[in-house]
Amino acid sequence: MKRPWYNFIYVRSPIAKILLGGAALLLTLALFGFTFIIEEPRMEAQTNSWTGRSIEKGAEIFANNCTSCHGVDGKGLPGVAPALHSHYFFTQRLTDLGYAGSLHDYVAGTVAAGRPSKAISQWAQIMPTWGVNYGGPLRNDQVQDVTAFVMNWEQDALQQTAEEDPWQPFQDAKTTDISGTMALPPSAPADGEARAPQDLFTVMGCQGCHNLEQDQTADNRGAIAPNLGNLDTEAGNMVAGQDALTYVINSITHPNDFIVEGYAAGIMPQNFPDRMSAEEIANLAQWLLDQAAAN
Amino acid sequence: MAVQPEVEKKGFMSSVLGLVDDTFTRVTAGISPGEVRRMLRGEAPGRPNPRLKPHTEAFLLHIKPTYYHESVTRFTHTFRLGLLSTYLFLFETITGLILMVWYTPSPNQAYVDMIRLLSNVPFGQFMRDLHRIGAELMVAIVTLHMVRTYLTGSYKAPRQFTWFTGVILLVLTLFLSFSGYLLPWDQLAYWAVTIGTSMAEAVPPAIVGETVNLLARGAPDIGANGLLRFYLLHVLFLPLILFLFFFVHYYKVVHFGISLPANEEEVGQDTANRIPADRRVYFLPDVLMDETVFIIGFSAIMVLAVAFFFSAPLESIANPQSTPLHTVAPWYFYWLQGMLKIADKMIAGVILPGILLVLLIAIPYLDRNPSRRAKDRRVAIISGVIAGVVMIILSWMGTPQYAVSAAPAVEVVQELMPEEGAGAIREAGYAHVPVGVFDSRVPVEEQTTDEEWRAIVEEFSASIAHFDGIDPEFNNAWGTITVTQDQPSLRRILWEIHWVDSEGVEENFKRFFFLHEDSLYWEQYGLKDFRWLTETQEGE
Ligand code: HEC
Ligand code: HEC
Ligand code: HEM
Ligand code: HEM
Repeated sequence: MKRPWYNFIYVRSPIAKILLGGAALLLTLALFGFTFIIEEPRMEAQTNSWTGRSIEKGAEIFANNCTSCHGVDGKGLPGVAPALHSHYFFTQRLTDLGYAGSLHDYVAGTVAAGRPSKAISQWAQIMPTWGVNYGGPLRNDQVQDVTAFVMNWEQDALQQTAEEDPWQPFQDAKTTDISGTMALPPSAPADGEARAPQDLFTVMGCQGCHNLEQDQTADNRGAIAPNLGNLDTEAGNMVAGQDALTYVINSITHPNDFIVEGYAAGIMPQNFPDRMSAEEIANLAQWLLDQAAAN
Repeated sequence: MAVQPEVEKKGFMSSVLGLVDDTFTRVTAGISPGEVRRMLRGEAPGRPNPRLKPHTEAFLLHIKPTYYHESVTRFTHTFRLGLLSTYLFLFETITGLILMVWYTPSPNQAYVDMIRLLSNVPFGQFMRDLHRIGAELMVAIVTLHMVRTYLTGSYKAPRQFTWFTGVILLVLTLFLSFSGYLLPWDQLAYWAVTIGTSMAEAVPPAIVGETVNLLARGAPDIGANGLLRFYLLHVLFLPLILFLFFFVHYYKVVHFGISLPANEEEVGQDTANRIPADRRVYFLPDVLMDETVFIIGFSAIMVLAVAFFFSAPLESIANPQSTPLHTVAPWYFYWLQGMLKIADKMIAGVILPGILLVLLIAIPYLDRNPSRRAKDRRVAIISGVIAGVVMIILSWMGTPQYAVSAAPAVEVVQELMPEEGAGAIREAGYAHVPVGVFDSRVPVEEQTTDEEWRAIVEEFSASIAHFDGIDPEFNNAWGTITVTQDQPSLRRILWEIHWVDSEGVEENFKRFFFLHEDSLYWEQYGLKDFRWLTETQEGE
């Protein structure tokens, strides 16, 4: 018979076949061995990797849902919501509460179930319910992710000095003496350069109480504080003798001088003049009016 | 004692040897050690041929022919693709059964189980990768097996029914990989299967389509019920049917004998079962040896691939609320995806595949040409090649490269840091993503010294420039990547792209992602990254 040109690929000798099979078998065994040897570190790397990915997911959830109350860096907003990125939170909080579980479980539980509003709360906001099991928007795995993210502040928070700790003591929990760790809200920068109003609006916690997008009307009232969406048209008519800008500046520096109807005095923090320079407050007021006008 | 007189008569050694001989012969169902020795030396069998005995005695061998025609045992005749298909199916069954141990078919548990399998089960990732690569290879090999039987004209009389059962096996194989695809319950799986099952919805009339869809998904959307149904299909129903059809298929193959090379018999004749004595190759030992060595070799290649070049992907957990940009089907369904891009669901998803299937089954009846010789079958072979080329073109159209749909700014980010999966940045990893602001308008060399990061920023600038060049709505574009340290070992990567549209209005796009120091991202194909191996050791 005529042999085809690719004849060479036919292995005919039984010895060659056995050798080939044996070599392949050895290779397979060697690869098994290799996989076996690296299994331990591989599993460890995978474990770390999935924790890491969970933190990434949690960071995204936090950025989208929690920063309006707990601040972009988790250090809380004065009067709005407590700090989580805080030395006190990671060391003392559970002891003061008398909570028996771990901090991880405490965070996961709080996030999932929220906090029922107390009749009188020091916080302008209430902690919403997040977990889907309790009627919130986040799936269980997302609650775990955001918890992993909050817990990941630990290393950084433990290095905070007493002055740096942004903790605002809870009025309804026993507080271990943490003198010197009282809330020290951000104050005017030392170099005197004015900060941007849109940053101040977040950093100072205004957005935790006020909504800048919506108008304040009879049937659309802000729940905690007036909406500021139509400030430009309203501000001039609030107090006789004050033009819009003066009124807004005054509302920031001396909130209790004039209380908008339907809201209580003393909710809006009164220490803004200590925390912002006069220039910054004026800029902020002007910016608020501009934003409202742009709406 | 009955043993004693035996031993006294023959002596101790020879009675033990006799016993060993006996046991061996029983285990091999009729082959004595002496016969094995003769086989290894390549000697002819004794008479009557003891090597036929196992075919009648042993269950597993009774289905195999005792001897083959020499011409069909050549590798280049069948390429052993049918054998490989069979092997891969058994292989999938075994690895699949092992995976079942760690798998729970419930939306709350499935994804968590996958993570546990990867990070807590020794050889877990290895098994999963093997099952996955086995599945993809099985689809490929079964298709190639079909191509080979088509090209050798083996579907012609009397083998029409063999071909028919083959087509059923192909469909079952595709359904198996489709149903398995959902099981990891990640975004990739969820959306590929959602799109896939939504084609069932397009079956006319509407009531039938909706019912089929509802039956498959167990609810209007895939959820707990859908997952359970797919799981049962995947591990029980489809494998059982496949087993059944395999035996019918293979019975027919043995019954008619594997078709001879076309030029070795007269046109219109089928002499596969009339094998002259001098052309016989016995299963024992020759064919068995060939098949065993071939399968060991193939397994070695699979294990090699899994050890270094292949890892099954796992994206974020399935989220019915958010469709990731550019959802892709597995590659063997690219052709369908390609068709869906140019025609609507009813035509591309139901009618055309339906016609294709009917055509495949009808091939033996359409092709009335009695000759199996290539030179007599020009029409058949050319139409086969054309069909293949069309499939490849459609598949190419099914890839995301074809017909980019999202806005340029979105695409730029998607290219480097996709919503799901790896992408250049995640593959480079945390260590190569330095904190800072990086601007597409400034030469990269001035901004960073990290080689890998430099390449990424360069690609970013190049990709912005590319879209600036081709999209009239996207002018004077530039962008920045801002990397900040948000937490220990967690960096935020903020993408900002600014451009001017055709009416001169300035627009911008912002998007941020996080990257953690420990997270590993990988592509499915390509040299594996073993960086963690050195990193963990350094850390200790
Ligand atoms: C609407 C404002 C608001 C939002 C949004 C919010 N929180 Fe809270 N959160 C609060 C307030 C107020 C408290 C304090 C509740 C109390 O004890 O009265 C709190 C308490 C907590 C606590 C417990 C702190 C402690 O020391 O007891 C945690 C943990 C927490 N929040 C996490 C989150 C996470 C994570 C998110 C995002 C998913 C989030 N919060 C979103 C307002 C908010
Ligand atoms: C803890 C919640 C809280 C925070 C934080 C807060 N406010 Fe207020 N604010 C209120 C309440 C309640 C009122 C209405 C009662 C009043 O007039 O004092 C108010 C009133 C105002 C008014 C008058 C609104 C009107 O419709 O007449 C202005 C302007 C204002 N706030 C600006 C700010 C600015 C700017 C900041 C941030 C620097 C800020 N607020 C932070 C609670 C808050
Ligand atoms: C799970 C899938 C399949 C398995 C396990 C399988 C198995 C086999 C085996 C073991 C053979 C023996 C000869 C050889 O290796 O070629 C064979 C032959 C054959 N198969 Fe398949 N097959 C499968 C799918 C298909 C498909 C998809 C087709 C075509 C549509 C097909 C058509 C045929 C035909 C026509 C033969 C006879 C070949 C001849 O006589 O030369 N099979 N099959
Ligand atoms: C009886 C046989 C089989 C059993 C018991 C089985 C079982 C399983 C199980 C438990 C999973 C989930 C684990 C995972 O996703 O990694 C799975 C996944 C999968 N199976 Fe199977 N399987 C079988 C056969 C097959 C066959 C024949 C194919 C393909 C032709 C296939 C294709 C797949 C695919 C593509 C996946 C997804 C893989 C992944 O993402 O990791 N399976 N199978």
